[in-house]
Amino acid sequence: MTDAVQKKPKPGLWAGLFAANLGIIAALFITGALEAPTPYILFALNFLLLIPMIKAGKQAQEESGAMTRAMRDYNRRFLVASALYAATMLGAGGLTNVIPQESPAMWLLAIAPMLPAFGMIWAITRYLREETDEYQRYKAVRASMVGLGFVLVLGTGWGFLETFGLVPHIWAWWVFPAWAMGLALGMVLPEHAGDAS
Amino acid sequence: MNNRLRVLRAERQWSQQDLADRLEVSRQSVNAIETGKYDPSLPLAFKIADVFQLAIEEIFLRDVGEQAAE
Repeated sequence: MTDAVQKKPKPGLWAGLFAANLGIIAALFITGALEAPTPYILFALNFLLLIPMIKAGKQAQEESGAMTRAMRDYNRRFLVASALYAATMLGAGGLTNVIPQESPAMWLLAIAPMLPAFGMIWAITRYLREETDEYQRYKAVRASMVGLGFVLVLGTGWGFLETFGLVPHIWAWWVFPAWAMGLALGMVLPEHAGDAS
Repeated sequence: MNNRLRVLRAERQWSQQDLADRLEVSRQSVNAIETGKYDPSLPLAFKIADVFQLAIEEIFLRDVGEQAAE
């Protein structure tokens, strides 16, 4: 049993790669090595790593006997939303130079990536509603709390560093990938903390 | 919480997957309950009791400490 768990595919590896890339892109942008919209486009391309991550995660779930029908639906929906997110970001990033600054079309461009981001939240909400396996539901709720905690701690920490002039300002849309990272982390964290009573 | 799931399964020669199918949950969930990592809700506990045709307290046992406090 434990052998099978240890030999499972590595969604954490893809998540780590995703986070590392994110860090590198952010660092290059902050130091001025990259100028907008290049980091924006790289950031969107980085989202494509979520596809093998979700696939590896799915395989790990199948192998550890954790797969449910609701989870299959969730994986599919989340995958579609991630691909759309990457596509809209890529599209918006590419078009920012073409469209004049004051144009109302800029609003559309800015709002476009927000829709698939809502799609991801919707996928999770729907999963929690559709999942009939209470233990799996508990795990998903715990994972999203880990994601939330991750974002809050990271955001508050960065905010203070910024206030004291120690780090430069960064765009606020980092919250979503950071949350997704925390969510993935929460899913990968095994059942050690399960002793509720 | 302690339980007798493993013994009861063995008596019936059911695998974790067999029990999972009967309960309509994942195999991992059966494992988590069986090893005491997760305590099932009352509805699921009743479902488990139904599957084994036993009373809940014949499957789930109070922790020793709780029993002593009684």
